[in-house]
Amino acid sequence: MAKQTPRSLSAIQQWMQAVITHPAGVSMGADSDEARRHVDVGAEHLESVIRRSKALTSAERLEVYADAYYLRLLDCLRSEFPALLYALGQEAFDEHAVGYLQAYPSQSYTLGFLGKSFPDYLRETRPADIPGGPEEPNWPEFLIDLAALERTYAEVFDGPGIETSPQLTGDDLATVMRDHLATARLEMAPCFRLVRFSFPVHEYASAVRHEESPEPPEPRETLLAVTRLHFVVRRFELTPVQFSLLTSLERESTVQEAVEEVGQSLSDEEFGQFAGSIGDWFSAWTANGFFAQVR
Amino acid sequence: MNLPRLGHPNLGLGVGLRSVHFSHILEHHPSVDWFEIISENYMDSGGRARYVLEKIAERYPIVMHGVSLSVGSTDPLNRDYLDRLKRLAGHVDAKWISDHLCWTGVAGRNSHDLLPIPLNEETLAHVCERIRIVQDILERPIVLENPSSYVTFADSTMNEWDFLAAMTDETDCGLLLDVNNVYVSSVNHDFDPNEYLDGIPFDRVVQCHLAGHTNCQTHLIDTHDNHVVHPVWELYRRAHASTGGISTLLEWDANIPEFPVVHAEVLKARRYMRDGLDEIELASEDDTPIETAPSSTTSAVPHPATFVAVDAE
Ligand SMILES: [Fe+2]
Repeated sequence: MAKQTPRSLSAIQQWMQAVITHPAGVSMGADSDEARRHVDVGAEHLESVIRRSKALTSAERLEVYADAYYLRLLDCLRSEFPALLYALGQEAFDEHAVGYLQAYPSQSYTLGFLGKSFPDYLRETRPADIPGGPEEPNWPEFLIDLAALERTYAEVFDGPGIETSPQLTGDDLATVMRDHLATARLEMAPCFRLVRFSFPVHEYASAVRHEESPEPPEPRETLLAVTRLHFVVRRFELTPVQFSLLTSLERESTVQEAVEEVGQSLSDEEFGQFAGSIGDWFSAWTANGFFAQVR
Repeated sequence: MNLPRLGHPNLGLGVGLRSVHFSHILEHHPSVDWFEIISENYMDSGGRARYVLEKIAERYPIVMHGVSLSVGSTDPLNRDYLDRLKRLAGHVDAKWISDHLCWTGVAGRNSHDLLPIPLNEETLAHVCERIRIVQDILERPIVLENPSSYVTFADSTMNEWDFLAAMTDETDCGLLLDVNNVYVSSVNHDFDPNEYLDGIPFDRVVQCHLAGHTNCQTHLIDTHDNHVVHPVWELYRRAHASTGGISTLLEWDANIPEFPVVHAEVLKARRYMRDGLDEIELASEDDTPIETAPSSTTSAVPHPATFVAVDAE
């Protein structure tokens, strides 16, 4: 029988947290080293810390908290990563998610950060690559890309945007193109992100959202701009040239510098096409809220 | 003698603001008296949630209700969190700021649950000291709610109602009396909910919460996913009479019905504001709880902070 010694609030809290967050349940939690380090009663003597009720034992009462802990956070992760959930199926998704919650328990006052490191966790725990070597993207790579895309969506969705602040207009753009090409820098919208993937995960994620039961796609170098318009996350697939141009603009090159930088890597014929398209691209990007303002 | 409700107004009958109702509220401007927000869902948002809140705050009184203060924890208080809370309160002109008598985690972690503390002189002193710090930072009294709980501690030497009374007496904080939580805890911990109300200093009660719960036969779980049950309405009747009128808020967080259904639920409170009503008048079809007993594969899970899903193309 464990001896009754005065227990500090801190010891009780660390003990209870260890017990109710143990992935194998209350009994294993109470017997774990972590729990016993704070309050040294095993699963047999829970009543010396937690009283029983008329209807439930001490362990059963603690199980209400233990059951809810993972289920609550799994619910949140399933909502944040619906396409990853679909790709993996719930059982495999939950297995990864429980592992993640143990490796990266929430340390924030908000659930908004809960999924922040999920893509990192999947990267760290990915199985060794199947034959074909690192150049051949495979299933784990697809899952990691999908998780990274969905995390990007979450950040773009709730982060700062341009709905209530001024955004670059077509007239602003026309002035830049006509008079200030050499000096103007375009400030990207705060919700704008450039991301690169090995699979067209954006199409897969949209298909899941539209309940189209997609098959996993073939690998394909995928370059995306992700932003938010009227509080809805939008994504645009880019050509390598467009991606380079936007990357250069994001690094605060002037419009002219960005065009020249990209132009250097093009043949004369390609440059002709590029030069002929730039105007249309900038108009579309402006209309789609890529830019906040001219600087 | 203290002013009733710490001098706060009786805001009337309000509803907890949830994202599924955003469009309805912006479009129809329902005649609800006030809204309560989950502070953590808005304090960092630069997106739709924050935009909608600001629109709604132009028309309705807003009260901020938090789930991460963790006033009972032995971890240090999070100064950055408190600063953000205070900033949001300024932006939306929050009538008051509330949270729970609980801890949410320790050693830097957050369980995102509202965990109970042992109730004794040592923990009372600990909580009171932290309430004073919080009130200094926020520059206003904090309002604390009695949580639903599922365990009691061998180290407890006080009843929850005595603890709350002493806590508010020592710190001048306000109380948010959740009559559903009183009922849930009374079943889970085998006490008489009326004895609980006997011990409440009603002049310190700033607000009431109403909600539904899940009956698991051996215990109740505070799931906020259903209509308010009759015994809870009876506790509300007493609370209303004892406070002389009180800001009343309905929480509905899972299986959330259309806004008019949620609004109609809180309007039922009017029936309990007068004494001596016939039971017959109180019985009505829409009191029937929606069947939400947990199935074998899913358990009843309280979600103190609701998670907002992304809108993406
Ligand atoms: Fe409540």
